[in-house]
Amino acid sequence: MLSMFKSIPTHMDYKGQKLAEQIFQGIILISAVIGFVYGLIIEQFGWTVYIVLAGFAVSCVLTLPPWPMYRRNPLSWQPAVPESSGELTQKPQESLKKKKHK
Amino acid sequence: MNTVLSRANSLFAFSLSVMAALTFGCFITTAFKDRRVPVDIRVSKVMLKNVDDFTGPRERSDLGFITFDVSADILHRPVFDWNVKQLFLYLSAEYATKSNALNQVVLWDKIVLRGENTKLNLRDMKSKYFFFDDGNGLRANKNITLTLSWNVVPNAGILPLVAGRGYVSLPFPDSYEVARSY
Repeated sequence: MLSMFKSIPTHMDYKGQKLAEQIFQGIILISAVIGFVYGLIIEQFGWTVYIVLAGFAVSCVLTLPPWPMYRRNPLSWQPAVPESSGELTQKPQESLKKKKHK
Repeated sequence: MNTVLSRANSLFAFSLSVMAALTFGCFITTAFKDRRVPVDIRVSKVMLKNVDDFTGPRERSDLGFITFDVSADILHRPVFDWNVKQLFLYLSAEYATKSNALNQVVLWDKIVLRGENTKLNLRDMKSKYFFFDDGNGLRANKNITLTLSWNVVPNAGILPLVAGRGYVSLPFPDSYEVARSY
């Protein structure tokens, strides 16, 4: 069960994290400005709260799941060093030695 | 570590901060406005009795009965803005007696919620509460002033107490109404 949840991908790369943060801050600030002006005009503060909540919901959908646009710049890791045959042969030898000590 | 939970946390915290700033803005936009509006009070009937006041020191006290009209544009734009949830209106009588320089008695009150009737226009209202003096100060009192005031219950900020512009002063009769027994 737990491994099923862990298998869901949630990772964003570094540029994607920055982009996600800028997107949710922008959406919430814009909805706050719209809500403030609208509430001031119709004299209902409740509508300001609703509009900010709508902005919150939209930015949740847009920035919580790791959409493909947040994974466009993956880190370029060094290519995996192919394991040399010497190491492969040494390790069994070490284990063999330990066994001999015993 | 940037996970779904840490992103949700920062999103929620940022939304709450923005909401707090908006609430403060709502308070600031209404903090310095003048909420007084003209009020028209008329008294159509005054009656004075001298009855046993069982709450007091077992003497007969003055009890006034007032029938009044109140009209005010209370719920218009200047009073009911976006930082007002409800108004608590009350009509109070102020007068001076020999024993007290200032007496204040609340005769009637009313709660007006947001979205209710836009004008206050009441005719021939009887007072809701007893107009008892704590002695015999109402008889032949020449200057009893009725004023309408209200508390503003806001969404955010201070709780203003506003006195309406306009009052009525009236003299009380010199003699008591006699209780008739049939």
